[in-house]
Amino acid sequence: MKKLRFGLLAAAVVAIVALVAVACGDDDGDGGGEGRGDTVQTIKDRGELKCGVKQTQPLFGFREADGTVVGFDIEFCKALAAAVLKDHTKVEYIDASDASTRFELLAEEEIDVLIRTTTITASRDRELAVDFAQTTFYTGQGFAVRTDSGIDSTSDMGDAIICVQTGTTTEQNVADHFTDIGLEYDPQGGLSQDVADAFFSGRCDVLTADASDLASRIAVRDDAADYKILPQIISKEPLAPGVRDYDSEWKDVVNWVVHGLIRAEEIGITQANVAQMAANPPNTEVARLLGVPFQGGEVAALGFDSVDPQFIQRAIAAVGNYGEIYDRTIGDNIPRACTLNDLVINNSGCPDGQGGIQYALPYR
Amino acid sequence: MVDMPAQNPQRIVLPPHRERARRPRIVRFREWARRNLFNSRAGTLLTIITAAILALLIYGVVYFVFVDANWRVITENRWLLFAGGYPMDQEWRLWFSVMFVFLLIGLTYGTWASLGRRDHLFIVLASGFAVLLLAHGGAAIWSTIWYLIAVGLLYAGYAITIRMPREAGPGRTVQQRSVAGLLIAALPIVLIVLLAFGGARPRELEGFVLNLVLAPVGIAGGLILAIPLALGRASRMRAISWTCTTYIEVVRGAPLLGWLFVALFILDDVIGGELIVRAMVVLAVFTAAYMAEYIRGALQALPHGQSEAAHAVGLNQFQSMQLIVMPQALRISIPPMVGQAISIWKDTTLVTVILPLRELKGNADSAIAQFEFTPDRIEAYVFVAVIFWVVAFIMSRISQRVEGSLGIGER
Repeated sequence: MKKLRFGLLAAAVVAIVALVAVACGDDDGDGGGEGRGDTVQTIKDRGELKCGVKQTQPLFGFREADGTVVGFDIEFCKALAAAVLKDHTKVEYIDASDASTRFELLAEEEIDVLIRTTTITASRDRELAVDFAQTTFYTGQGFAVRTDSGIDSTSDMGDAIICVQTGTTTEQNVADHFTDIGLEYDPQGGLSQDVADAFFSGRCDVLTADASDLASRIAVRDDAADYKILPQIISKEPLAPGVRDYDSEWKDVVNWVVHGLIRAEEIGITQANVAQMAANPPNTEVARLLGVPFQGGEVAALGFDSVDPQFIQRAIAAVGNYGEIYDRTIGDNIPRACTLNDLVINNSGCPDGQGGIQYALPYR
Repeated sequence: MVDMPAQNPQRIVLPPHRERARRPRIVRFREWARRNLFNSRAGTLLTIITAAILALLIYGVVYFVFVDANWRVITENRWLLFAGGYPMDQEWRLWFSVMFVFLLIGLTYGTWASLGRRDHLFIVLASGFAVLLLAHGGAAIWSTIWYLIAVGLLYAGYAITIRMPREAGPGRTVQQRSVAGLLIAALPIVLIVLLAFGGARPRELEGFVLNLVLAPVGIAGGLILAIPLALGRASRMRAISWTCTTYIEVVRGAPLLGWLFVALFILDDVIGGELIVRAMVVLAVFTAAYMAEYIRGALQALPHGQSEAAHAVGLNQFQSMQLIVMPQALRISIPPMVGQAISIWKDTTLVTVILPLRELKGNADSAIAQFEFTPDRIEAYVFVAVIFWVVAFIMSRISQRVEGSLGIGER
């Protein structure tokens, strides 16, 4: 009898603990899910932008020897800090290198924005309650082979050993593709760096990953000429900043900062000339984009109440336009001309079937 | 078939083992080899095969370390690996902490143990390794000098304390108490030096520094929590023993990985605060559950006579615990506790896996993401492994010394 009573006591304790945990969880769900978020105000109150970034991705997000976080994605964090906080150094880089917890970090409000080579997909948009802003980098899944392998497209890969990173969209894409073309293949899975090592040491015939990733891994090698990337691309991987659902205000700021940086490249505003352009705007569009009056007229705020009209101007002043960001961080390691990340307006010189799709929506 | 050397009739005949010891080393080695390595045909074959495998292994390691490997990934990134995001203009705080800890090691060794030939060899080797790493790039000379000063302080502290009399007496007590006090205060002092008065923000503790902060906090916090837990579990009051037992069983029932998830997603709402503090809490809570069980085991191993004798001479419950039972129980539980400490030392790498905190292994991942070093991942991980081994080895050596000086296993 005594034993039973203690058993009941223990059960009660467990139940109470569980209830408390659930209650805490619920609080959180309400904050992140249904109510309208107010991330811009949170950032301003905190005085710092919490940017979830990768710290282990060559070119996109990694660390310099002195510990600073650098890369293509990082530039957009700086641009956002400049836009919202008027100081591009006011960023706390939160490590979101781990692919499996990155969306939880966002949902749990450990970060304000996730800029970490994340592909937009419908399920992430809906199931994971992520809202994606304008794509910063377009890539797609490609294949790398040895130059002397005689493989020119996936139809030559019957019974080939293909190295692919497990647990990614990459793995699903390659399975779908080979089902579609009716060929058998031998998949060898592992972590991103492991499969690359396996490929370069000859343990598999084909390496598949984002084409930009393949390019950066091959470019760094001494024997880069022994490998080639097939022109064939089997998937779309638009990499974009993600924010929490139900926070349009913040999402719009992120979105239009990216569009603003692309537009700046389209119309020739650079980090070097932005101050002079703002002092003396050549036309109404430049004036509107930079948030300054044109010939004594009104400043167009366009309803961005939470930030002042010069937010895009500050972003450009901090990191330069889209093209400058690309050149500074990625440069020739992933050629840009006539690839998806080139500007649409540059496409006239490109060979048929090639060209960029970066295109800023009208800021007005 | 052991051939004995010709006996000299004038010489005093020594017992066989002394006689063997008098012969030249090379002869003794030849005999030893014949007895142990080439005692039969199969034995000879095995010896040859083993030697060949060993030679291949050694060749492989030497070739990798001295020819194949590109250690620039380490030397160039040593700041990233060791301190990461720690503000560079506050570097003196790191060096101050290193010097303080080295001095403390010297004082501790001088007070309770002595440095043997192997200890000196280890210090020299480790210092050579450290200097090899530090003597590159811009501020190389200064960081080398700071390091050598730290080693100098270790020997200075040792030289002072080793000369003091070991015999029990008022002087000895003062010496022991002050060094013990410094040891207890060391962790708070280092944390204050690193963080307070214009130092880094907690989240700027990164790289190896983060491992070196997390592990001691986990171990010390765990020990502090473990003693009341162990006593509580042994308590005759059911409410207390049930609470402690539940704590221990629940915490031990899930892996550290899971508890770190709790730190990330649940403790956020419960205690909030910096992530690194939450990680420290989880490490301490986790370590405590294991250490409590080691202490409980030690308490049960103590003969009842001990506490009965304490009561007989008029000590109350608390005094008997403090003066008779606990000192013996803690002494018995040192070996498993050190095992747990080494285990939690290695587990600090898990904070990078689960939490957005960057410790040594995490920053090694970042270093090999630098474009020119992407092919040098093996070098980076080998280096990280060696660093972890060195610290674990130091911990185990110190524990052996403590055990030796406390006479564990001798009674």
